[in-house]
Amino acid sequence: MGPAHFTPNFVGWRALILHRPHQNVDALLAQCARIGITGEQAWPMLDDPDAMRVFNVLLIDADMGHDEQMPWPPGRAPMPIVALIGSEAPGRIAWTISHGADAQLLKPIGSAGLYSALVVASQAFVRRRAQAEEIALLKERLSKRQVVAEATAILMLTHNCDARSAFDELRRAAMAERRAIEEAAEGIVAGFQPDGRKNVTSGR
Amino acid sequence: MSAYPVAILFSRSGGYSRPAEQGYFGALAAVADINADASYPFKLEAHHADPQGNADRYAALCRDLIRNTAAQHVVGCTTSWSRKEVIPVVEKLDALLWYPCVYEGFEVSENLVYIAACANQHLVPLLDYIVPRFGLRAFLTGSNYIWGWETNRIARDILHRSGGSVLGERYVPIGDEDIAHLIEEIRAKRPDFILNNLIGPSSYAFLAAYRALGEEDAAFKPENCPVVSCNLYENEIGLMGPVAAGHYTVSSYFRSLADRENSLFAERMKTRYPERVADAFFVQAYASVIMIAEAIRRAGSDDAQKVLEVVRTHQIATPLGPIKVDRATNHVSLSAHIGRARPDGDFDVVHSCESPMAPDPFLTATPLQRSYAEFAGATPKLRVV
Repeated sequence: MGPAHFTPNFVGWRALILHRPHQNVDALLAQCARIGITGEQAWPMLDDPDAMRVFNVLLIDADMGHDEQMPWPPGRAPMPIVALIGSEAPGRIAWTISHGADAQLLKPIGSAGLYSALVVASQAFVRRRAQAEEIALLKERLSKRQVVAEATAILMLTHNCDARSAFDELRRAAMAERRAIEEAAEGIVAGFQPDGRKNVTSGR
Repeated sequence: MSAYPVAILFSRSGGYSRPAEQGYFGALAAVADINADASYPFKLEAHHADPQGNADRYAALCRDLIRNTAAQHVVGCTTSWSRKEVIPVVEKLDALLWYPCVYEGFEVSENLVYIAACANQHLVPLLDYIVPRFGLRAFLTGSNYIWGWETNRIARDILHRSGGSVLGERYVPIGDEDIAHLIEEIRAKRPDFILNNLIGPSSYAFLAAYRALGEEDAAFKPENCPVVSCNLYENEIGLMGPVAAGHYTVSSYFRSLADRENSLFAERMKTRYPERVADAFFVQAYASVIMIAEAIRRAGSDDAQKVLEVVRTHQIATPLGPIKVDRATNHVSLSAHIGRARPDGDFDVVHSCESPMAPDPFLTATPLQRSYAEFAGATPKLRVV
């Protein structure tokens, strides 16, 4: 995902169109060629996930598609997905969403639309993946809130200082060790002996 | 002798009638030439509608023209905005729109033939010429619609990737002549050049005010900080007189191109329309009609798909050079010439690309990181003599 003035370029991409042979597929293949993408058609089943790794985008058929076609559970596709929609029945649209389709093309497929669908789907995919990673990281941090509190308390005790100074000390220690605060806190807690003797990390 | 209808859809009135009328006259000139040429076993019948520069009128008028005259071919549209309005009509009725104006790209319709440059054939060679000679710092202007927005975005992308910068970007509504704020901002920011994507009266008003600024401060004379355009040609330059002199335009066609065939063509058009200049807008529409006629002759039919097949498989001689339509994109290979406007309204062609450039409407084959920095860094500002 680049800045707003960035010109997207899909040259060298491989697109897999999961749709029975049809005029719509021919139209998509022509659009692929125009923007530098190698398009391939498959139906009805996809290969195993490893073989799918070569594809940069997957186009799925909202009208006849079903979960069993995919070698991964709904929502776990390792690439952006574009839905090809004929019937705009809510159930069919919901199915494409469950598989992570962030962009759509309405049938009949004409001479345009794939480019914008790719821009939207690829940027949404990158954003979603980055968000998932960030959420996992935040969850882990959250689960370690307890250990940070404990380490702060230990430092208050061993340094005889207030909470703010203790937390600053913890942050300094983490930076010095090039570790996350949570990891540094785990070290302090592990090294603390409640009889009052100072440990290596916090001792001075 | 059979006659084939050809629909002509240009705005002879409204906010950009000056360039649009060029398309109208160019198409009519070609129809007259075909009808006077005994080697064509048919006549063309031109049917014109005037959308008056109102984007909302194009689709309805185009539909009426096709339905009422049974035309398979429409030559028309000047702005991208109007072209986008017409696409669904020609796609639905399976007619062909021959679009004879430069545009920003990122479009391919099966029912359009693009007889003019897209960005890799105009903006890219223009920047390639201008940046090494004047510098990397641009000011971007445009009329407030898709042409200016997208052309400026591509320019920004190219400049940012190539070590350049954009000092400002300003838009005015189509037809607006109140551009004092633009001049003030340029005076304050002092760019190396100005990319002008204004159209019609806004563009004329801007160049007049910019000329006045240059008289106050030599830093803004064209030889120091030129205004560069992708669609400002002889017909409008002539209207403006000396205020446009010294500024640059990129085009696939200039009247002053020196080859003999063009000199003959330019002379002939001058005799026919003494008050008019056959510029790129005119010639691209002219070439569109020539291609339609030649394809009808070869196909023996004006059927849109048959005609399209002919122009995709045969080179057809036009004043733009021999043209064959690229099957994948419906665009054409074109030369890029850089012209510097003269006070008399013609251009001195100061640079031409070596051979016609293939169309690349989605900019997939055109490197956007250009090698400007080495030029602009190594030499202080070059002066064009």
